[in-house]
Amino acid sequence: MSISNKTRIPPLIKICIGIISLTAAIFTANAQQSFTINGSITDIDNGETLFGASILLEGTTIGVVTNEYGFYSLSAPSGQYNLIISYMGYHSQVKEIQLNRDQKLNFELAEESTQLEEVVVTGDEPETVVLRKPEMSVAKMNIGTVKQMPVVLGEVDILKSLHMLPGVTNNGEGSGGLHVRGGAQDQNLILLDEAIIYNTSHLFGFFSVFNADAIKDMKLYKGGIPAKFGGRVSSVLDVRQKDGNNKNFEINGGVGAISSRLAVEGPLFKEKGSFLVAGRTSYAHLFLMLAGEENRASFYDLNLKANYELTDNDKVYLSGYFGRDVLKFGDIFDSYYGNSSGNLRWNHIFNDRLFSNMSAIVSRYNYKIGFDMEDFDWLASINNYNLKYDFKYYFNDRFKLDFGASGIFYEFDPGRLKPTSSESSINPLVLDQKKALESALYVNAEQKLSERISLKYGLRYSRFNRLGGQVMNEYLNDLPVRYNSALGIYESGVVIGETYYEKGDAIETFDNWEPRINIAYQLNDNSSVKAGFSRVAQYIHLLSNTTSVTPVDVWAPSGKFIKPQLSNQYALGYFRHINDQAYSVELEGYYKTVDNRIDYIDGSELIGQETIETEILNGESRAYGLELLFRKNKGDLTGWVAYTLSKSEQRTPGGRAGGLGINNGDWYNTPYDRTHDVSVAGTYRLNEKWSFGTNLVFQTGRPVTYPNGQYEYEDISVASYSDRNSDRLPAYHRLDLSVNYQPDRRENSRWKGEWVLGIYNVYNRKNAASISFGQNRETGANEATRTAIFGIVPSITYNFKF
Amino acid sequence: MKNYKNHFLALLSTLLCISCTDVVDVDVQTAPTRLVIEASLDWEKGTQGNEQTIDLSASTEFFSSGNAPIITGAIIQVTDLNTGDLFDFVDQGNGSYYTDEFIPAVGHRYQLEVIYEDETYIAEETLFAVPDLTVVGQSKEDGFSEDDLEVNMTLIDPEEEGNSYFFKFWKRGDLLPDFEEFDDEFVNGNKVDWFYEIGEDDDTDEKEAFQPGDTVDISFYAISPAYLKYMRILINQIGGMGLFESIPVSVKGNCINLTNADNYAHGYFRVTQVVKTSYTFE
Repeated sequence: MSISNKTRIPPLIKICIGIISLTAAIFTANAQQSFTINGSITDIDNGETLFGASILLEGTTIGVVTNEYGFYSLSAPSGQYNLIISYMGYHSQVKEIQLNRDQKLNFELAEESTQLEEVVVTGDEPETVVLRKPEMSVAKMNIGTVKQMPVVLGEVDILKSLHMLPGVTNNGEGSGGLHVRGGAQDQNLILLDEAIIYNTSHLFGFFSVFNADAIKDMKLYKGGIPAKFGGRVSSVLDVRQKDGNNKNFEINGGVGAISSRLAVEGPLFKEKGSFLVAGRTSYAHLFLMLAGEENRASFYDLNLKANYELTDNDKVYLSGYFGRDVLKFGDIFDSYYGNSSGNLRWNHIFNDRLFSNMSAIVSRYNYKIGFDMEDFDWLASINNYNLKYDFKYYFNDRFKLDFGASGIFYEFDPGRLKPTSSESSINPLVLDQKKALESALYVNAEQKLSERISLKYGLRYSRFNRLGGQVMNEYLNDLPVRYNSALGIYESGVVIGETYYEKGDAIETFDNWEPRINIAYQLNDNSSVKAGFSRVAQYIHLLSNTTSVTPVDVWAPSGKFIKPQLSNQYALGYFRHINDQAYSVELEGYYKTVDNRIDYIDGSELIGQETIETEILNGESRAYGLELLFRKNKGDLTGWVAYTLSKSEQRTPGGRAGGLGINNGDWYNTPYDRTHDVSVAGTYRLNEKWSFGTNLVFQTGRPVTYPNGQYEYEDISVASYSDRNSDRLPAYHRLDLSVNYQPDRRENSRWKGEWVLGIYNVYNRKNAASISFGQNRETGANEATRTAIFGIVPSITYNFKF
Repeated sequence: MKNYKNHFLALLSTLLCISCTDVVDVDVQTAPTRLVIEASLDWEKGTQGNEQTIDLSASTEFFSSGNAPIITGAIIQVTDLNTGDLFDFVDQGNGSYYTDEFIPAVGHRYQLEVIYEDETYIAEETLFAVPDLTVVGQSKEDGFSEDDLEVNMTLIDPEEEGNSYFFKFWKRGDLLPDFEEFDDEFVNGNKVDWFYEIGEDDDTDEKEAFQPGDTVDISFYAISPAYLKYMRILINQIGGMGLFESIPVSVKGNCINLTNADNYAHGYFRVTQVVKTSYTFE
């Protein structure tokens, strides 16, 4: 890679800079002469860049927070200032500066606590920034917070911690993923170092794919999604890996009952760079094997990160992830599935105000089910290649601009049957491969209109080309699904022909303008109101008609028959700090609509299905709710209470297919509807050695479909079922406790150890993951069978660091 | 393939937890009562197939016990649409309606008409030919479990595409039969090996694996693609839908109510050819 400097800027960027400088000139025309300082803020112990640290000129409202790469740039009129550099959980620094020229200043902050965790942060950026910033509907969590929360089976899990926030729920135990503000699991854009992660869970949600030892921080956008993100209508979860300690060689690890992990990090090339390698593996399958159990499940994953500072203004990062779940059911099936991703990034600072990052990313999700007895494998995958270039220009204290472009090339391999021996009675089969290109341009401005009002507004232009190279069916009257009014059911349309689309042709092209705007009005020093609107388009969809999303569900691109989902979200919030930031209150209301949300016709078959269009109906969904988050940020006892009152429903009329549609075309609950959702999370620090954590969760039961009658047919009792999602599972609730104990460290020993004792579901509530209905084979009577995955689960883990 | 996939997904839930299911009391909704038409005109290959019975009953609340209420007083007729022949089914007074005049013929389309309480229900179905099914013996290693006995069968799927099949296995002495269905989508024209095994259910003792001396009755039907779709949903939903299985749906049969479309009947009008055999384990 060539090293650019100010005199060697590519032409396109030159033009951009030209335009920006012109605009900047307009904005700065009336200001007195001002100067810029820029640099990075890092952790003094390990050199990790800090995302969201703030730099404030004391006595003014001029301030800025660091970006994802720890970079900041701040302009102010010339003069003498005290710079206050702060980050929650770290000691603040004050530095006197004479601002009479542009200068580069890097800061290193030291952690407040000496806990084993890298960073222990209970809140967000300091209040003054939070209240004034227009950003809303955002939850930022540091890995330290997550590590303090009680966990099931002793494995720290960032997804489970997110479930504790308002507006975020899970789908019950035994299922991974997130549901954000009444949205579906596939409506979350989940990024690990910018790479798209398609399946977030190991062992069906027992563990998340994110290894806490390799993660630095994460940010969840429940709404008000910045223009730089797109492609999913509900949320963006931006997870960032640690860069690796660039000062000292360090080993972190943990030994638990189910799994163990080890992370190694250290400096490279004389502190010019650093690396991190982290791995995890479960070994519960060993015990199961010893117990004679033929069915086994296990997982492992590997995180990799390396970075190197080429010059003061250039830094390259390499990150990678590889995860696998391996299942075996006796001699019947063997299966694996998992994500893998890689990202090469180049940070370049063009000048003291213009920061850029270019990324080349690949990611992949694939699975195999081997049907050992029948001698064949079933394979499927989704791959994407992503190139993006992002810029941030710090015009002045009142105006900042983000802009950039991205392109994602997708390859969908929805499934192939591969006989594994000549004796197999199965014929080979390859479902049509699908290809698509998703591209986007965006620009986003952050502007301070007055001391009280600030704005963030942006526009994203997205375009989706479903590429040719495949055959598409043509249906009678252009109806892939039609209503059979005689039988009262939806069935496949009549194929009247097919069209082959050449590789160079687009089967279908969509484009959307996606405006985003947030505004904050600061009422006083302690409170503000914020409002936001965002429109987001989603071009790829996870096909799933099961109660819980399974690892073998496949993604499908928009095209001739599946339209892009398009959401509009409105949000209004009130934010307040109490008692000098010791407590904070966040209250938000939202209303969200999603067009083109598909649902599945009765009896739909999605796996091994060449013509998905014959199994779906087009509909819409909407969700609205009120979220309250009360936090205690300071003291020995910290934590929060979150409450969400919400509704999430969808409607799937027959449309051109005829008939009334699913549930007669009426609105019905989505599976992610939770009327009430209460989460309480608390941590109590008794002293240097002992700390305690607790979670309390209550959620309205998940909408499900129960029988409403039975009849005798073919010598059995057959259940008839009621309208889709018109019943509910019993309410979900549980209490978890944990104790952390850090023994005294031996003198002169680098070794730091920590015991974590946890009890998940303390009062042994049997929360139903599902309830199924059937006939008892001995008595013939119908009965309801509950599947409850976790009763009370004690765990013990030993974590170490040296 | 679809069966395999369903089996795989069903197994996923079992992997999640061993012994973490229990029977609970649940309130369910109650739908209005519907007529249930079990009109299965099955022609056993090699016989005349003239004796046929149709059963009528009523649906009940999901958790009600006892036999389903029988329906008498209906008028039932079946027409061979290819020949115009009419077959009257005579009310036996016990919910059954009987004829000994039926004439089955491969490829013929039949129409059912049921008149009950001034409402007319009709349905149509085509009869398909069934290939021979050969029971080749028993084994332990060819099934899902190497500890349990299974019976092995083979059949040869005809050249042309679009054949659909339905198996009914009933271990003698068991209260309930087992069903399986498949079509030739992935095995067209091939020799197909099939086996039937009862997996031991360690949790409930509801299911006992085959032991030497056990006899299983096997019926193998050639069915219509429409009936396959119906049975696929129905079979899939027997025994309940777990965490990783499809959201359960109402299964709608082919009996349309001409008088009042909303008051459709449960059940199905099928006309099939069937091979019946049995096997006693050694």
